[in-house]
Amino acid sequence: MSGKTSRREFIRRSAAIAAGAFVIPEIIPSSALGMGGKTAPSNRVVMGAIGTGSQGMANMRDFLRLKDAVRFVAVCDVDSVRLNRAKQVVDTANNSSDCRTYGDFREFLEKEKPDAVSIALPDHWHGIIYTETVNKKFHVYGEKPISRTIRDGQTIVAAVKKNNIIWQTGSWQRSQAHFHRGAELVRNGRIGKISRIVVGLPDGGRSIGTPPVKEVPAELNWEMWLGPAPKVPYRGVSHWDWRWILDYSGGQLTDWAGHHIDIGNWGADLEYTGPVEISGKGVYPPEGIYNAPVEYDFICKYANGIEMRVANSSRLEHGMGTTWYGDLGWIHTNRGNVLTASNADILKEVIGENETHLYKSENHWQNFIDSVKSGKPAIAPIEPAYRAISVALLGEIAMTTGETIKWDPEKEEIIGNPRAARLLERPYRKPWTLPTV
Amino acid sequence: MKKQYILIILAALLIPLINACTEKPANNALIITGQSNHDWKVSSPVLAQIIEGTGLFTVEIMTTPQEGGDMTLFDPDFSKYNLVVLDYVGDPWSEKTQNAFVEYVKNGGGLVVYHGSCISFPEWKEYNEIIGLGGWKDRNEKDGPYVYYKRNELVYDTAAGPAGSHGPAHEFEVRTRVMDHPVTQGLPVRWMHATDELYQQLRGPAENMQVLATAFADTAFKGTGRDEPVLLALQYGNGRIFHTLLGHAEEGNVTAMECTGFIVTLQRGAEWAATGTVTQKIPSDFPTAAAVVLRPGFREITTDEAFEMIADYDIQKSTRYYTQIQAEIINAAGDEQKLLGLEKQMVKILTDNEASVEGKKLMLRELGWMGSDYCVNAIKELVNVPELKDEAEFALERLDIKE
Repeated sequence: MSGKTSRREFIRRSAAIAAGAFVIPEIIPSSALGMGGKTAPSNRVVMGAIGTGSQGMANMRDFLRLKDAVRFVAVCDVDSVRLNRAKQVVDTANNSSDCRTYGDFREFLEKEKPDAVSIALPDHWHGIIYTETVNKKFHVYGEKPISRTIRDGQTIVAAVKKNNIIWQTGSWQRSQAHFHRGAELVRNGRIGKISRIVVGLPDGGRSIGTPPVKEVPAELNWEMWLGPAPKVPYRGVSHWDWRWILDYSGGQLTDWAGHHIDIGNWGADLEYTGPVEISGKGVYPPEGIYNAPVEYDFICKYANGIEMRVANSSRLEHGMGTTWYGDLGWIHTNRGNVLTASNADILKEVIGENETHLYKSENHWQNFIDSVKSGKPAIAPIEPAYRAISVALLGEIAMTTGETIKWDPEKEEIIGNPRAARLLERPYRKPWTLPTV
Repeated sequence: MKKQYILIILAALLIPLINACTEKPANNALIITGQSNHDWKVSSPVLAQIIEGTGLFTVEIMTTPQEGGDMTLFDPDFSKYNLVVLDYVGDPWSEKTQNAFVEYVKNGGGLVVYHGSCISFPEWKEYNEIIGLGGWKDRNEKDGPYVYYKRNELVYDTAAGPAGSHGPAHEFEVRTRVMDHPVTQGLPVRWMHATDELYQQLRGPAENMQVLATAFADTAFKGTGRDEPVLLALQYGNGRIFHTLLGHAEEGNVTAMECTGFIVTLQRGAEWAATGTVTQKIPSDFPTAAAVVLRPGFREITTDEAFEMIADYDIQKSTRYYTQIQAEIINAAGDEQKLLGLEKQMVKILTDNEASVEGKKLMLRELGWMGSDYCVNAIKELVNVPELKDEAEFALERLDIKE
């Protein structure tokens, strides 16, 4: 760990103790005291977790799997069953019983002083909680998509830049060798000048209709789960399946934008810009509370002439994944180690010393920890994540309005279409507001 | 001897549509039925209603003599029509009628082949060339290959074996295979079809034929485990043929024909077969992979009816009519007059004391982004209604964004 981080950590803890904020004594087990070749506690990144559902716990386990890298000290969730399960995992890992639990992220942020926070929440909460966490100058491992709206995304990007913290997006495909290799071949012109990118994301699923209103389970704080989203009655849908409801998510399209759109941008060097024109069509469920598009197909034109098509995979020749088309051929990449090309020789190409070498990471979670320690940016920083989700959110706006949308990627504004511009944000339900940076 | 066929003109069934469209439709369709192992007395009037429902056709139904009757009496004048629809399984037609039919198609006449009609005329070579695929009645490898999709590849399988079978009726997902054919352009790539028989193991000449859509024949329903064709488009001479294997009907059960997917593909197929193009828009109630959608009475809900249903909406009801209005907003993109018309209807719900709170909430959600100055005062009024305060303020906050 760098002296800088250690010092900051020391200052934080001293300040916290002086202010009497810690009422719970922290018991440090001997396993963390630097004995027997173990990493000294001061060299472990102290972490908290906000959101301990399936993805939050998956990330926590990925961090805990790293050798002596982190020590979780606190967890936060609006579901007490999940919260207690997370505490058990942490306590087992720490061989202790001192993991602190919070049902309200505001209390977590007020009382805890971790180095870094792992956050995995429904998208409608990202704007507030990412920004508040970053404003506390905690480093963040944050799940994609960065935000439910473009305005939320802009705020988060501004907060990360202003507070100069390490941000790692959960776009872990960047840390897989074959995605990296595909993007690097494209970036170095191995299929010539890129004219087209086709991104295949999953089809939407079956409807559940309109389930009856139910009593909220005792363990779930429904009011807090909804947060800034419109007040609606509980129908037995919250965890996981929020992603099929437009108040909280944009469906498969926005869920997966941070993967295959992100990889597409990475290879084509579009990760710090956005499209200038977006048009397309969505297929929406005919009824029911799941209202995110089950099919979608839109084209984004970039200022440099590249066209990116984003569609549900059943509509596409290559199905899921990213395919770049250049004047010398194509390269396709997908999960499951898929890396194919119009000509297999392309994949044997060596990238020379003086060519572009994309940032290399072999483990997404280790990369974040390394960055927290070194102060160097992580492999999936905030702006590319914002640009990737912007593509999906602009597509969503084009499909919702039925219009061809003009976008200024520098000013980050919709041009000449007030109706569409209104869809750049979603109003927050009181008392919630998007924090200022 | 008195001619045994009768002519039924269905205008009486279609008063609302005729009111909406006073000009006489440009196309004339003839439905041929009268014999079938299926319940043609149920299916043929429905086919007529669906095809007239496009507003593009005047439809007549002609029945052949009964089984064993004198088929020379069945002698239609095909030249009066640019679309023939077959809902017929029965005795061979007279040679004269067969020749006239083949000439009709060859010379550019449109044809729709419906469901059980693929069983007809196993011995009639030209008929089988026209319909592409058929089944039953001792058809086998001598009649042509099995045609199906396997692992997303179209297969022409010449293996020996009988043609035509189906398991118990069930809901199944249809997969659009040709996305750029006039009939299927703009359809979802996957959509749920209402409970129906799924024909399988069909075989035939399959020449000049496109498999527009398939459905997976699940072994759980005695299926082949293959993706079996359900919609076909063919060319025979200058004639265009739309062949739908879907839509089984019997007395008291027309669910498969009420499926919006069946109705809309039939309507589009009919227009394409008759004219070569499709001018109909994909309606908002077309099913998706998410769910089956039925049209009770085979008729699309009008915009006015949808607004009426929204005015009466409560949280336990289907959101289908709201979805329809959302789709109409998308379809009105770029047409300020149409958008204002929709806005006015939404404001009418906001100002209607009888309209439900939940219905008003839905309208506030839409107005919040698509509304103009027209709706602002009506929304301001609702800020004072406690149950609507949040939604009204959301809408006003958004409407404040002018650029």
